Amino acid sequence: MATTDTTATPAPVRVVLVDDHRMFRTGVRAELTEAMAEGGPVCEFVGEAADVDAAIAVIRREEPDVVLLDVHLPGGSGNGGVDVIRGCAGVETVGGAPVRFLALSVSDAAEDVIAVIRAGARGYVTKTITARDLVTAIRRVADGDAVFSPRLAGFVLDAFGAAAGEIAEVDEELDRLSAREREVMRLIARGYQYKEVAKELFISVKTVETHVSSVLRKLQLSSRHELTAWAMGRRLV
Amino acid sequence: MPTPYEPVSARTVAPAPGPARPPLVRARAAGWTPGVCDAVARHLGVSRRLVRVAFVVLALSGGAGIAAYLFLWALTAEDDVEPWSPAGVARSERRRWGLTLAGGGVLVLGGLALLVPGLGASVRGSVLVPVLVISVGAVVAWSTLDDAQRSRWLTGGPGGRGWVRVTLGTLLTLAGILVLVTRGSTPGVVMDALFAALAVLTGALILAAPWAVRLWTDFRREQLAAARATERADIAAHLHDSVLQTLALIQRQAGDGQAVTRLARAQERELRSWLYAGPQGSQESLAAAVTEVAHEVEDLQGVPVDLVVTGDRPFEQHGAALSRAMREALLNAVRHGAPPVTAYVEIGPSGVEAFVRDRGEGFDLEGVPEDRLGVRQSVLGRMERHGGSARVRRREDGTEVELRLPPVEGEQ
Repeated sequence: MATTDTTATPAPVRVVLVDDHRMFRTGVRAELTEAMAEGGPVCEFVGEAADVDAAIAVIRREEPDVVLLDVHLPGGSGNGGVDVIRGCAGVETVGGAPVRFLALSVSDAAEDVIAVIRAGARGYVTKTITARDLVTAIRRVADGDAVFSPRLAGFVLDAFGAAAGEIAEVDEELDRLSAREREVMRLIARGYQYKEVAKELFISVKTVETHVSSVLRKLQLSSRHELTAWAMGRRLV
Repeated sequence: MPTPYEPVSARTVAPAPGPARPPLVRARAAGWTPGVCDAVARHLGVSRRLVRVAFVVLALSGGAGIAAYLFLWALTAEDDVEPWSPAGVARSERRRWGLTLAGGGVLVLGGLALLVPGLGASVRGSVLVPVLVISVGAVVAWSTLDDAQRSRWLTGGPGGRGWVRVTLGTLLTLAGILVLVTRGSTPGVVMDALFAALAVLTGALILAAPWAVRLWTDFRREQLAAARATERADIAAHLHDSVLQTLALIQRQAGDGQAVTRLARAQERELRSWLYAGPQGSQESLAAAVTEVAHEVEDLQGVPVDLVVTGDRPFEQHGAALSRAMREALLNAVRHGAPPVTAYVEIGPSGVEAFVRDRGEGFDLEGVPEDRLGVRQSVLGRMERHGGSARVRRREDGTEVELRLPPVEGEQ
């Protein structure tokens, strides 16, 4: 198990699950409960919702640490998860941290993924993720880190032209990835866990997390044409 | 709590905020008149008689009433609303009879005036006949302009009865105009005739413009609805052929876990590529080729392969070699390794790199079992023959195969 994560034994992460399929919600709860039976009570479900308006109400009431958010949801102004994130702007947990969103979707479409990330989600995983990986991802998002699936890493490499060899001269440049960030993204696209990335590049897991968070920030703030075009696809300027 | 029967609840209802003004539409069932007065009366909430009187007064004072009537007729849409008749059917029936009688009387009087010159009517037959022809033609043509028939010609195309009527009406009108113009046919009148023709054309344009606008909006609306219906039908057909069939298959093979997984995965992929049109452009690209290879392996072995591809380049023989080598590597990963099997292909200006990774026990190249000797040939050997390289790395959990190709010659 992830021994590095359980050293401090923090309080369980309060989670709200937003998905319009009841069967999927039940499945996720059951799987997570099972996974936590072996790894300790990492998270606690405090609510669930099936559409945009119910989701915003539940999140505002419960102020959870992490929201597992489906990208496609009925209600709101038709932008699904993006509407939920916007509707909950400024909501904070008891501890004063912002409510964090982890997008969970079956969609492979770049514009869906990029749209929720640009709206403020801290990560994106597909619904085929294993329960154990999902627990890790929830923990990571609750800690304020970013969670990238291999596919999201692939999108990022494409969107920033990193696969085509565009590399930022300085790390702060928003429209391109730095050489190190590109390496990290490539390894994540290859299916490596953060731990494995760290080992491969001879850096610490914390440094990997820093790089990933920095890529997330660029993804949210960059005005690169590809990103804005993808986001425009979801009417998100 | 008041029961539904208590009169109190009825009295406490807030006063209605004034009925909304009904839209200006003509009732389809308004009788044999176009229903313009009816529509105006309904819209303004006044009695129909008042509106009629107003129209007649306007018509008598310079013809403004007629123009207004025609324009309203042309511009207001027809709908299935009830005619504005607070007094009921019987009265309107009586009124219709009265109108018919009045019209007949006027016609008879007109005929008598023509037959008997002594009655003082100075109307000359040479003017009256063309005017009558024009009116009949116009009525025939205009009478086809109601919504129902219009949509029928639009869907039925030319050849319907509507076209015959419009052509007939137009011909009659034109013939009447011709007769009127060439009546006193001295060459000096030709200029006048020309002006008259121009005037008639302009008038026709003015008359036709609102009609054309209406026709066009109706046409667009119907087109849109038809497009939506077609799209829906396409989606339904696709779902029926793919998803429903697969679901039926899954139900039948519910006992066989592997078969169910394979079916579900294959269907998911198919649906995905249909919904999102896939990341690849043409079938001749390297990205498309490796994607196809990964799907093939999934189908063969029933183990999901998570493939991520970035970039693309045209498909040529080196790329073909890479995709075949990748197929071998994937097959080994799903056969001998443990899921999840992940693959990443990066196609860039500095060449192609492909990684295939599994989470199995891993193996040492030195102690490769017999069946993996083929791997050495088909993966390592093949890549070297095509100017690339391959490497098998044993990791803590599982194996990773790396394939590399230099960029296509002539590029970079």
